[in-house]
Amino acid sequence: MKIIVCLKQVPETNNVTIDPITHNLDRRGLAGVMNPFDKHAIELALSLKDTADTDVTITLLTMGPDDYADSLHEGLAMGADEGVLLSDRAFAGADTLATGYVLAQAIKKIGNADLILFGRQAVDADTGQVGPIVAEFLHQPQITYAANLRLSGPNEVTAERLLEDTKQTLVAQLPAVVSVRSELNTPRYPTPRQIQLSFAKPLTVWHHDDLELDDQRLGQAGSPTIVTKVYAPAPVKRELTPLTGTPREAASQLITALKDRQLI
Amino acid sequence: MSQPELWVISERRLAHIEPTTQQLITKAKSIAGTTFKVVTILLEAPTDHLEDELTPYAPDEIRIARDERFPTATDAEQADALAQLVAAYHPNTILFGATITGRSIAPRLQAKLQTGLTADCLDLRFDDDTLVATKPSYGDNIMCEIICPDRRPQMASVRPNTFVAHPATGTPTLTAVTVTFHPVERLQITATTPVVNTATTVSDASRVIALGRGAASETTITTATQLAEKLGGRIGVSRPLTDQERFTHDDQIGQSGNTIHPELILNFGISGAVQYLVGMQTAQTIVAVNADEHAPIFDVADYGYVGDAPAFMTALLEQFN
Amino acid sequence: MSTTTAAEKLLLQMVDDYTQKEIAPQDMPMDAAGDFPAGFMEKLTATGFLGLMLPQEFGGAGFGPEITATVLNHIARGNASTAVTLEGHFKTIDQLLKYGTPALQQQLLPTATDRIFAFSMTEASGGSNPMSISSTATREGNHWVLNGDKIMITNGGLAEVYCVLVKTAPTELSVFVVDQDMPGFSFGKREDFIGLRGTPVGEIVMDHIVVDDDHLLGNLGDGGLIGDSAHDDARVLMGAVLTGIMEHELKIATDYAKERKAGDQPLTALQVTQRKVADMAIRKETTKLLYQQAAHLKALGQPYSELAAMAKAHGSRAAVSAGDDALQILAGYGYSREYPVEHLIRDARALEIAEGTVEKMRSAIALAEFNH
Repeated sequence: MKIIVCLKQVPETNNVTIDPITHNLDRRGLAGVMNPFDKHAIELALSLKDTADTDVTITLLTMGPDDYADSLHEGLAMGADEGVLLSDRAFAGADTLATGYVLAQAIKKIGNADLILFGRQAVDADTGQVGPIVAEFLHQPQITYAANLRLSGPNEVTAERLLEDTKQTLVAQLPAVVSVRSELNTPRYPTPRQIQLSFAKPLTVWHHDDLELDDQRLGQAGSPTIVTKVYAPAPVKRELTPLTGTPREAASQLITALKDRQLI
Repeated sequence: MSQPELWVISERRLAHIEPTTQQLITKAKSIAGTTFKVVTILLEAPTDHLEDELTPYAPDEIRIARDERFPTATDAEQADALAQLVAAYHPNTILFGATITGRSIAPRLQAKLQTGLTADCLDLRFDDDTLVATKPSYGDNIMCEIICPDRRPQMASVRPNTFVAHPATGTPTLTAVTVTFHPVERLQITATTPVVNTATTVSDASRVIALGRGAASETTITTATQLAEKLGGRIGVSRPLTDQERFTHDDQIGQSGNTIHPELILNFGISGAVQYLVGMQTAQTIVAVNADEHAPIFDVADYGYVGDAPAFMTALLEQFN
Repeated sequence: MSTTTAAEKLLLQMVDDYTQKEIAPQDMPMDAAGDFPAGFMEKLTATGFLGLMLPQEFGGAGFGPEITATVLNHIARGNASTAVTLEGHFKTIDQLLKYGTPALQQQLLPTATDRIFAFSMTEASGGSNPMSISSTATREGNHWVLNGDKIMITNGGLAEVYCVLVKTAPTELSVFVVDQDMPGFSFGKREDFIGLRGTPVGEIVMDHIVVDDDHLLGNLGDGGLIGDSAHDDARVLMGAVLTGIMEHELKIATDYAKERKAGDQPLTALQVTQRKVADMAIRKETTKLLYQQAAHLKALGQPYSELAAMAKAHGSRAAVSAGDDALQILAGYGYSREYPVEHLIRDARALEIAEGTVEKMRSAIALAEFNH
């Protein structure tokens, strides 16, 4: 069984600022780390590998600059078997559609994937779109926001998906694309020894010419959306209504106010 | 030339319409002006009458495709049906609720249509016929305005409860349309069961009781726990309390902890350091109780009480009981 | 100082993540309970921490002395006891690597990823003067027979393998290795210390334990040498632990000062606060430079004994003083057991005593200076 886990590298904190002169996002000095949600996808792959009757290989796939190899190494240290980095100037500036296209082409090149896993979304851009886009490009069924997943047959998975107030049970014949919720599992830590050994595992870099690509669908040219403005949200101006008197009186005023606001 | 169409894709929530759909219709009407025709797309079973929950919000038209398989259709099947309608009507703009379902179907449709989709928006407006979508990033620390200048339709999903739904006057045209249901046999939804949505983390909770140094004693925490139960909320803490055994980093509100957006937050004994405020100031209603009248928390609060936080909490709990 | 490799960078990222999520939350509970919580050491072990500096041929990760010390520094930011327990294990592995026969290494070291090793010198008759000990190893046939009572062993009771300093002749000190599974081995009482309360410190009793020749470390009479070597390796790591304690103290003090006002002024604007924080930072940084330089020399194979003694002698008092400053900045909260400052002072205080008192270290440093 072959599992591909797609992952993204994100800034280590969301505490980013706006350059007051250029109005661009100032990400200087922010180290990159693996998107925390993606670790749950890797953990799912590893737990399937630990428990499956058949041999499971886990390939990690990401698209980004060369330093995204850091996140691949982290995943390899958790126990994945190999990493593939898609890195090329032509891929830069991609929105979700152009990213999904290149990932889908790479997954075709890797070939024979039974399960393609994603984290629920990236903590920086918060879209969660790339998984479904890749599923569509590969013409595969998708299970998004899976809360658990198990192999229920030789070529079949059963998953639960939590919607706002319902739970769906889904059964998919593989191959399929799955994005996972973080409640699904607790990702293991890479052990110091696995960290050392991970640097001997295969890590391949594919550039533009390694893939079959339509240049019109790459990078900025292949991205329908443009960010026109970036700004820090203004603090909400609020009118303070004082609660007065004894604690009992003040509590009573608050209850009235919350009832007015339909909060209780 | 006919009016360009602004679509709102309806979402089903068990036997009803998901409220975000109604919120989106109201918002769509307010930004449509005279330029756009607001059309609500509804996929339902032949025996359903979900349009009855849409008509009070008065979109210009409700376009209904019926198939008995729609209520249990998978993401790909729904996206396929919507793509057929897009091919037939060429809408200018398509809006989804940024619910789990909306956020799963919209990108599949986007990929079919090879167009732009902006996720989880907090505001929408038109600049001529170009949708300007405001999307938060980096845990809501940054706002981006995103457009899709060249391709149509342009798409956005909108965070639930961002807009308020208002019933409106006017009678929408109801149109039945035909789509071919293309079943995807490889994926089956075998069960759908209701669940009680209990927030497991402070960032998921819609109501938060936040405790700081001024509300840190054993009895106060007990009172806070009872208040949280009454309100259906969770306890969160400012950084100093994460040193306590019972609280961890996961319970912390603020820059180095969780950025939260609850409907209601009650801050007890929290002075409101900048690092804390940025983690909670987007809450819809903010209440602060602190002994120090100059505490910065009062600068962002809707309701404030200067006094002893534990005493106030006890009084509040008594009145809830 | 050497640059950090990609593996070391990834290691520190994991260590920081683990410390924040798994270790730091247990800091206060551990102090209150006087023990590691249930499952705590098991998880630390399962995550491979015990094999951090163990060579890869024995199943470890094979990280070098510098990054090993840095890891303990980072762990101690969250909790000093965890770091000290690892320090006791690592210094013992170091002696087995330096002085164990290949056969003994092959037999024992592959188990050091799952079992804690400890080094024991002190006895009731004295700690600072090894010649005063009364434990013995006597020759019987082809074997050695060990008898005696070792106390105040770091990880005593938790560890499963012990290096023990014994007399093989009235004026001859040697080190043997015993295993808790050997007949005649038993545990004695656990100390109730005021600091580093997670780390068990306890007693072992040897009643006619029979071991083979290959359980002797080095040669007969190398006991003093090996004991000194264990001290050196421990002290490098203790400098790192103390740096971590001071970083924790600084974080508490600066976080508090940033949040708190005195009258209309934030505490950060007061010179009295600034002076304390600056002194804390200087103490922390000097200790860090000392332990890093000691670890660097160790990695290069150069003498590091004197710098290791300096790192601990300077760092232990520095961390107590920095804790005192932090307590004063937090005032009433600092004096409260609800806040961690007071236990950090107690934790730091232990390292003015363990692995050689500061007095003993100062005389060792002075002797080294006289001999330069």
